Amino acid sequence: MGNVSLPGPGLWTTSVGSLPKPDYIIKARGQLARKEIEREELKELELKATREWIEFQDSIGTDVVVDGEQYRGDMVAFFAEEMPGLEIGGLVRSYGNRYYRKPIATSPVGRDKPITVEWWEYAQSLTDKPVKGMLTGPYTICDWSFNEHYATRRDFVLDLARAIRDEALDLERAGARFIQIDEPAASTRMDELDLVIEAMAIVTEPLSAHTITHICYGDFHRAYPKMLDIPVDQIDLEFANSDYSLLDEFSTDPFTKYVGLGISDVHTHAIEPVDELVEGIRRSLKHIPADRMFVDPDCGLKTRTVEEAKEKLTNIKKAVDVVREEL
Amino acid sequence: MPIQTTVVGSYPKPPAEGETFTVRKTLHALERGDASPEDLKEAQDELVTTVIREQQEAGIDVVTDGLVRWDDIVTPFARHIAGFEIGGLLRWFDNNVYYRRPIARGAVEWRGPSSVDGYRFAAEIADRPVKAVIPGPVSFARLSVNEHYADHEAFVLAIAAVLAQEAAELEAAGAPIIQIDEPSLLGAPEDIDLAIEGVGRITGELSEARTILATYFGDAKRLGTDIFKIPTDAFGFDLVSGPENIELIKAAPGDKGIQAGIVDARNTRLEDESALEGTIEELVGIVGPERLSVSPSSGLEFLPREKARAKLQRLASVAKKVGA
Repeated sequence: MGNVSLPGPGLWTTSVGSLPKPDYIIKARGQLARKEIEREELKELELKATREWIEFQDSIGTDVVVDGEQYRGDMVAFFAEEMPGLEIGGLVRSYGNRYYRKPIATSPVGRDKPITVEWWEYAQSLTDKPVKGMLTGPYTICDWSFNEHYATRRDFVLDLARAIRDEALDLERAGARFIQIDEPAASTRMDELDLVIEAMAIVTEPLSAHTITHICYGDFHRAYPKMLDIPVDQIDLEFANSDYSLLDEFSTDPFTKYVGLGISDVHTHAIEPVDELVEGIRRSLKHIPADRMFVDPDCGLKTRTVEEAKEKLTNIKKAVDVVREEL
Repeated sequence: MPIQTTVVGSYPKPPAEGETFTVRKTLHALERGDASPEDLKEAQDELVTTVIREQQEAGIDVVTDGLVRWDDIVTPFARHIAGFEIGGLLRWFDNNVYYRRPIARGAVEWRGPSSVDGYRFAAEIADRPVKAVIPGPVSFARLSVNEHYADHEAFVLAIAAVLAQEAAELEAAGAPIIQIDEPSLLGAPEDIDLAIEGVGRITGELSEARTILATYFGDAKRLGTDIFKIPTDAFGFDLVSGPENIELIKAAPGDKGIQAGIVDARNTRLEDESALEGTIEELVGIVGPERLSVSPSSGLEFLPREKARAKLQRLASVAKKVGA
């Protein structure tokens, strides 16, 4: 685990990243959009919501805490807004009736100041547990943006990789021992998995923190075992959503990294009972040892309600406690 | 001789910056119970009217309704076909766009038209030909889950039978051009014989309408010239994501039309006029002006509204110049 260590025999609990925004944030974001309040007023509420989520995670005994991303709209736009070279573009649809502002690369992309460090420091000041640094990966920022500047996608991705590396280094200097670089788009094109790997190497090479990537929404069966070449200590994957079908692949090609074991479906209101979660962990332990396993939901919980997210996280912790007794 | 311009299908739903996004608001209101399905239809009718007007003003010769009543090309049909349920979210090809995958849990059967009312409305609004768009049977099957049929072939042909009825109804409603979308075929060359048979069942039902087999998001080189055995009048290729498609266009039989996607429908960078002019001239040199139609590389929904409009204007103005 890099130069970090956690107490106990393994099966540590965490979250993937985002947590639901309470109603008062959603209301205030609308008010800000209509210019009825100042940005500072929203920020006060984002600080309050972050505090509440840290307190909640501490109260259930979460091992590696997240800040819950109360201040983010979209995981790409949040970075794009702060990075020279990227402009925020017009609305495009992502699915159903959901739309986002897709960034456009219009000149060389870089980073001239820290983007996430202040939020990380605030969250870490509230708890004794390690707080994860949360970054969006270079391949995903490229894939979810328009490109009007670069001749090739590779040029775009590698510039982004250097910018995200600088951010990761700043997080590490601030004290982050766990740094997650999300690459949900990594499963989009198998012929670009080498580019995902090349870019991630630029980000993680100078880091001594425990590094994690989260990949989702894709055809993992095609990407496995090649995805094990992504230079991170841990890969976080959705297991519940695919009925643990990836475990079959692990029989043929053993999983060689730490795993983030997603055991709760984030796209359903249903709260999985503890028994079901316990069973999922037990099945997975046949393939991956407990001291290499973090347990969490499939993906960010931001589309759930606050209550649903709390219940899901509570049940995950209860399930982990049951299985820890059996180790 | 003039060169025909067209679109591949979809058009952005969001309005230009600063304008009210009525369809999105109405859908939210519908979810809360504050609006009725009639309110939604009214908002969609208004949007169709706008997107047809924008295509016409840009100078596009053959328009669509922008597919703005739909989320994608399969679920609006699956919702009307017996045997299908709508499942979880999955990525739409290699885009940061997701759709709900249809699941066939029973026999796939026609229950009445899915797209005919929409076609009639658009044809009423437009002052030029409106192209109807339907999914091809191979793509429909591959974008769905089959939990009912013994094999993929039976599933594809069951879907083809339903789509054949849909196409016949569209023709009866007056659709002069019917485009059958088979993007999934590019990644599944082993399905070519099924596509020939399945698409043939659809076009076999038609006597008047001109038919186009549309592909996009890549090149068709793994299919090779076998693609031209699919019995349609014309073939659509994406020359942006699949520049090698130019070789297939060179090999196309002399009686087949070519719909060439030459403006990038998935990136905002506006095409250089002289480069675009060169591309159209090259295509005219290969297939001649009569058989050629030029279009964006795929549906335009992947772009913000202003960018899509600017691309259509450029496409039409350069095509007009070359065709003058």
